[in-house]
Amino acid sequence: MTRSNIITHPLSRRQVLKGGVALGVGSAAAMGLSPAWSNPWGHTNAYAKGVEEGPEVSLAIRRESLPINGKEARPISINHTSPGPMIRLKEGQDAVLRVTNLLDEPTSIHWHGLILPPGMDGVPGVSFAGIAPGETFTYRFPVRQNGTYWYHSHSGVQEQLGHAGPLIIDAAEREPFRYDREHVLLLTDWTFEDPMSVFRNLKTMEGYYNFQERTIADLFADMRQNGLADTVEMRSMWAKMRMSSRDIADVTGSTYTYLINGHSPEENWNALFKPGEHVRLRVINGSAMSYFDVRIPGLKMTVVAADGQPVQPVPVDEFRIGVAETYDVLVSPEDDQAYTIFAESMDRSGYARATLAPRLGMQAEIPERRQIADRGMEAMSVHMDGMDHSNMQGMDHSNMQDMDHSNMQGMDHSDMDGMAGEQRKTRENGMLAAGEAQPGSRYGQAGIGIAPDERRVLVYRDLKAFTPWPDRREPGRELELHLTGNMERYMWSFDGKKFSEVTGPIHFEKDERLRLILINDTMMEHPIHLHGMWMELENGQGELIPRKHTLNVKPGERVSALITADAEGSWAFHCHLLYHMDAGMFRVVRVS
Amino acid sequence: MRTHYLILGLLSMSLGTLTTTAWASLGHGDNSNEVHNLDFDRTISVEAGDMWFEPEEMTIEPGETVQFDITNTGNLEHEFVIGDKAAQKAHREMMQGMTEGHGHGGHDMAESEHGGQMPSVSIKAGETKTLVWTAPENVERLEYACNIPGHYESGMYGEINL
Repeated sequence: MTRSNIITHPLSRRQVLKGGVALGVGSAAAMGLSPAWSNPWGHTNAYAKGVEEGPEVSLAIRRESLPINGKEARPISINHTSPGPMIRLKEGQDAVLRVTNLLDEPTSIHWHGLILPPGMDGVPGVSFAGIAPGETFTYRFPVRQNGTYWYHSHSGVQEQLGHAGPLIIDAAEREPFRYDREHVLLLTDWTFEDPMSVFRNLKTMEGYYNFQERTIADLFADMRQNGLADTVEMRSMWAKMRMSSRDIADVTGSTYTYLINGHSPEENWNALFKPGEHVRLRVINGSAMSYFDVRIPGLKMTVVAADGQPVQPVPVDEFRIGVAETYDVLVSPEDDQAYTIFAESMDRSGYARATLAPRLGMQAEIPERRQIADRGMEAMSVHMDGMDHSNMQGMDHSNMQDMDHSNMQGMDHSDMDGMAGEQRKTRENGMLAAGEAQPGSRYGQAGIGIAPDERRVLVYRDLKAFTPWPDRREPGRELELHLTGNMERYMWSFDGKKFSEVTGPIHFEKDERLRLILINDTMMEHPIHLHGMWMELENGQGELIPRKHTLNVKPGERVSALITADAEGSWAFHCHLLYHMDAGMFRVVRVS
Repeated sequence: MRTHYLILGLLSMSLGTLTTTAWASLGHGDNSNEVHNLDFDRTISVEAGDMWFEPEEMTIEPGETVQFDITNTGNLEHEFVIGDKAAQKAHREMMQGMTEGHGHGGHDMAESEHGGQMPSVSIKAGETKTLVWTAPENVERLEYACNIPGHYESGMYGEINL
């Protein structure tokens, strides 16, 4: 709320900064750019600023000229910042959020990860009619949870234009960790292209943003390494799947500028700390299409929450964050030095970067980006996991010993949850017991492009709740959904049907306990998001399985979650890759 | 490898200071009744929760013998280990290595092999354990901590001012 004074202040950056610190007003303008909550000193109880504090908040949505990475851009702004302001609520409040649409098209805000009445969920056509130009919609709901969340438009491709922001809910009771300072790190992917033309490019030309396609030189290298027969076999396998083995992401750094709190790697946003402090980083992946691998060379990060929910602490060196996921980590920088916060895009086509530093303007070394991963080996593990084995005949496995095992990242056989030999608890009706990992799941792996032995990387299997979630019932039924797609025609769907082709919603019986099984038949990761209800990820942790709002499903993987269908009404269920959702990977779940 | 030697170095240094003082560690097993036979100057009640200690700091006179009654009110197992900051760190890194390596449950390592001579006790959820300890004369500051991976980092540490 103090922001506007500062932006209009005719002071130099340095003066604003000094004044800001002395007077206790926001110093976000010191960075020269919004959003205001990305204030380098973060948040302490004595020093909150640049925040829209609840329970009553007003937000105005505009399209306006704001610089991004120093270049002219026309993002969607929320209260004149893009990404939008941080909304800070308190558990137990009744939130009143007034959203005014000053665009010339309808808009909406979805409060991602919040459990609320269906009419307040903000999905046009599912929960409400949307917000027409010139109109104000008032969201009212009780805040019954705490943690790190975010909000974004659920209309068209507006999210790609910066229509998103962090949503932080302070806990009513003591959290299972303590810290001296906190920072929000919102990761986004910005394009200077018109998002609709990005979508058109994807639809008209497969691999449009992929400049890492295999070449003739690669083919000869493969043949030298693998022999002619295997190379031809692998190539034809890819051709059958209508994909290139280097399609790690379908929109890449060739168009994207990856941002942290609205700032490019060159702008190097600073998160400040005092040596010896314990710092909480609330990391949100608010990007449209990009997964990131996040690390801070020189610091161990202790993961304490996933998707806003506390988990038993896991010290790691790196974590992969899927689109729409959030992770809270604690770091304890003891030395008077700068540390690079490095968020490498999963396809290695670029990175977002900020610096954790004791003073403004510092920087540390930027790690080298890793090589582009190749889906080849992972694809084979998928096939071994029960897909089409007939294609594998004629492959001489003895040759595999000659292959370059460094390419086998993400394929740690000791970790293959899907392989035989592991005993799982089964019930009399043949269903797996609650909390057991599905055969075909790979919760022990971080995924493509991660070498398991290089450093300690968070995996889904690490996530463990402190206490069991309230509903301890075994699932009454199983619902299987296949994640399907045709990359060449850029069609994405559930069970082979685009949203425009399905006849009705997926039905959940009110108050039933069910198991949702997701089988990824495609060669890409999909972050699957259910609105209105938690998904308890059955990662093998039994009673202590974690609950999430967004599940990353790796290529070929089979994952499951338990759901208590206690939220009557219609809810969106979709892949959170924006263009996949718009291409049809979307369903409505009806609880009645 | 280099860090490994460093850890050993730090640990043996801290052992040097601690073993010269008389401390007794009871209540590891079911022998906590015997505590009453021992001489101690006062009792300090400590609560170990998820993930904190209450109190978060304490002042003890050099040479004072203290009985800690530690109650685990959390959902997870915790430990209560006394040592200087460096020794705690070394202990933590070793336990981290244990769990990352080949899956021993971490906590019992604290007492036996590595924590070696660091006064320590493990407490299961819901239990109370006691530890009798005499504060050394030649140290100004020590820490009490739970070094089960992630617990210290989440906030399970406190300061002893001597």
